[in-house]
Amino acid sequence: MIGVFAYLVWRSGYNRIVRQLRHLRSPRYVAALLLGAGYLWIILFDQRPSPVASRAITGGWIEVVGALALLGAVAWGWVFGVERRVLAFSPAEVTFLFSAPISRRGLIQFKLLRNQLLILFNTLLWTLILSRERFGASPWLRSLSIWILLTTLSFHRLGASFVRTSLSEHGRYGVRHRVVSMAVLGIVCIALLVSLAEALPALEAGRASGALAFLNALSAQAERPLARVVLWPFTTMVRPLSAGTITEWLHAIGPALALLLLHAVWVVRSDSAFEEAAAEASLDRARAAADRRTGPRRGPTVAHRPLPHFLRLRPAGWRAGAIFWKNLIAVFRMRRTRSAVLAVVVAGAVAAVSSMRGQSTLADIAGWLSLTWAGVMLIVGPQWVRNDLRGDLTKLDLLRSYPLRGSSIVQAEVSASTLALTLMQLGLLLVAYLAFLGNDEFRFDLPERTLLLGAAVVYLPLINFAGLLIHNAAAVLYPAWVHLGVGRPGGVEALGQNMLMIIAFTILLGITLVIPVTLGGATVAMLHPWIRNAALIPGTLVLLATLGAEAWLIVNWLGRVFERTDPGSAGLPA
Amino acid sequence: MIEVDGLQKLYGDFPAVQGVSFTVGPGEVVGLVGPNGAGKTTTLRSIAGIIIPTQGQIRIAGHDLAREPVSAKAALAFIPDEPHLFEYLTVEEHLRFVARLYRVHDAEARIPGVLEELELSGKRTALPGELSRGMKQKLAIACGLLHHPQALLLDEPLTGLDPAGIRRMKRTIVGHAHSGSAVILSSHLLHLIEEICSRVLILRRGRVVAFGTVSDIVADRPELSGRRLEDVFLALVGQEEEPER
Repeated sequence: MIGVFAYLVWRSGYNRIVRQLRHLRSPRYVAALLLGAGYLWIILFDQRPSPVASRAITGGWIEVVGALALLGAVAWGWVFGVERRVLAFSPAEVTFLFSAPISRRGLIQFKLLRNQLLILFNTLLWTLILSRERFGASPWLRSLSIWILLTTLSFHRLGASFVRTSLSEHGRYGVRHRVVSMAVLGIVCIALLVSLAEALPALEAGRASGALAFLNALSAQAERPLARVVLWPFTTMVRPLSAGTITEWLHAIGPALALLLLHAVWVVRSDSAFEEAAAEASLDRARAAADRRTGPRRGPTVAHRPLPHFLRLRPAGWRAGAIFWKNLIAVFRMRRTRSAVLAVVVAGAVAAVSSMRGQSTLADIAGWLSLTWAGVMLIVGPQWVRNDLRGDLTKLDLLRSYPLRGSSIVQAEVSASTLALTLMQLGLLLVAYLAFLGNDEFRFDLPERTLLLGAAVVYLPLINFAGLLIHNAAAVLYPAWVHLGVGRPGGVEALGQNMLMIIAFTILLGITLVIPVTLGGATVAMLHPWIRNAALIPGTLVLLATLGAEAWLIVNWLGRVFERTDPGSAGLPA
Repeated sequence: MIEVDGLQKLYGDFPAVQGVSFTVGPGEVVGLVGPNGAGKTTTLRSIAGIIIPTQGQIRIAGHDLAREPVSAKAALAFIPDEPHLFEYLTVEEHLRFVARLYRVHDAEARIPGVLEELELSGKRTALPGELSRGMKQKLAIACGLLHHPQALLLDEPLTGLDPAGIRRMKRTIVGHAHSGSAVILSSHLLHLIEEICSRVLILRRGRVVAFGTVSDIVADRPELSGRRLEDVFLALVGQEEEPER
């Protein structure tokens, strides 16, 4: 049976690439390919060995930091994992494979095999990213180490999704069937909390003495017996990557392979009657997906409740407002959004209370985490919040039949994502603001922090709009090459390509901001001698006006491209 | 009124549709038929403004689709064979969404009636994922009819409907035509075309092979006299079977 699966995976992959390459008949795609190739050359090949990397190896931090990052990724998957996406089969796979004489174990094997395409591609990317002997013994051994790491994580994600699905769909019966996995998970959680509590004072002291001291404290704390046990699987996965010689690598690869094997057994042994039920659930979902024709990949869960009266759309007003409203409803109906809003509200309340009561450590951690996330969302947020043209281009027929200009559609689509993303960031900034309320040692005093929060309210919407416009422009210009649909390519397997996308996006956002920031800065510099700090106001206005003008030009241009896009020729569903 | 003049659509060098011209007046239902790949859907999608014709002119209710796309599209409704719905909007919210797009000012009063007419009243708050295939089709139809379009384009509208739904749908199409809409109905169900269409447009390999009432078409070809639309269609598109012995 594995031959049939390999044939399906290989031919599908090959035909997909050939189909995408056919678009090179269009000059627009050729230009994108040349730019992309140049970009990859600079990022992947024209890099210099980094002194930070060698310091990380000699300091022994790479293992600890890598292990902690993996722990975070795995924990994130357990807590927020979208099991449907991991388990889902495409409608065609469901039609052909589920009705074929194939065991459930066979289906799982197919799933694992299909994931290998993505893993191999990302292994190649990571090998190139980590090239120039920055890490590890040799490029070949590094490739193998990366492949083992990504495959283990992919297996883990699949196994975790089985457990989560078991629990969510079968309640206490699920717990019974998953007693070993649940016990292991429980022990790991307890051990993790205890080691965190033990390490917190030393880490706090390290943090106060600077980044280097913090990393050293982190390494020291990771060597404590309980922490070593908790981190063992993760350090085992990372160790082959950080091995400096072949001997070290040979020592490290055995345990890593054993861990991979354990995961493979865990996942493949999921072929019990219970897993059959999970597979059936996947079948139902995939059938529903086929019915909806929303494309092969599904978006996050929908939480449905009737809208309050004031949110009802009225027939009069801006026509494209209907699209803006539709997209916002979609964002706020996602369970993930609701969970995030709830988490922010609870975190804000806890942080504020802790801060005012003088429990600064807890409040500080909450504050810094929120600030960091708000900053990260500026770059990764536009990739995550996708309820715009990236989601709707799969329904291009419908959009094109509406009595709206292309520019109005682009404007409404991007505005909805902008509002959602900005509200998320402001929520996080508000948590940080509340967390530092009682902190008198913070670099900025309370009035300054209030001013900065106010500035975020003014700046973030337009910056986010510009960022989202870049992603939407990519979707409109290259619909055949950009991943469309509300769900984004996720998981550790796709981390390499997502990282390259983020770097490219950051560069483009930087280019977009160059002129507005220069003009705004020049305005401030010119007026500062006369009106001092008040020069920030006209400077801000100039910056925002220039950015707004840029956005307006791009929206109109994209609108025209949208109006000319032919669904069939663009490779979109007809 | 729908006016199509010299419509041509090329995909690369391949002509999906070429030299198609016809007019559908208010109150008229024109059946668009042809074998698979004849260019029916391309014609409908061109008239709906979804794809841009390589050549030719299309006017909807007097508005040139290329020059005044917004006004032209505001006067038409396109109901595709597969219902495209937004998975996060409920049945009623879909209608409110369409009401804003097409500025249906009396939507508040009209929505309950439309839901009732299409037997969707009990599903007002349901998301598309909770609807059967037929109900999704009804919702797509309801969205298309809410703004009383002057031009109605239907691509296989009976797919997924139950017998009662089919009967109601036929009544609805005829009713809209009687109220002044110009209707184009594309279908492979020739008995449906024969039953409700005033004229028939037969396409083959992207070209019009016949246009008119069934009796007009037969009158031009005496050898087809007395035969049903199905036989006329098969003869015209060159798919006529050998008579059974």
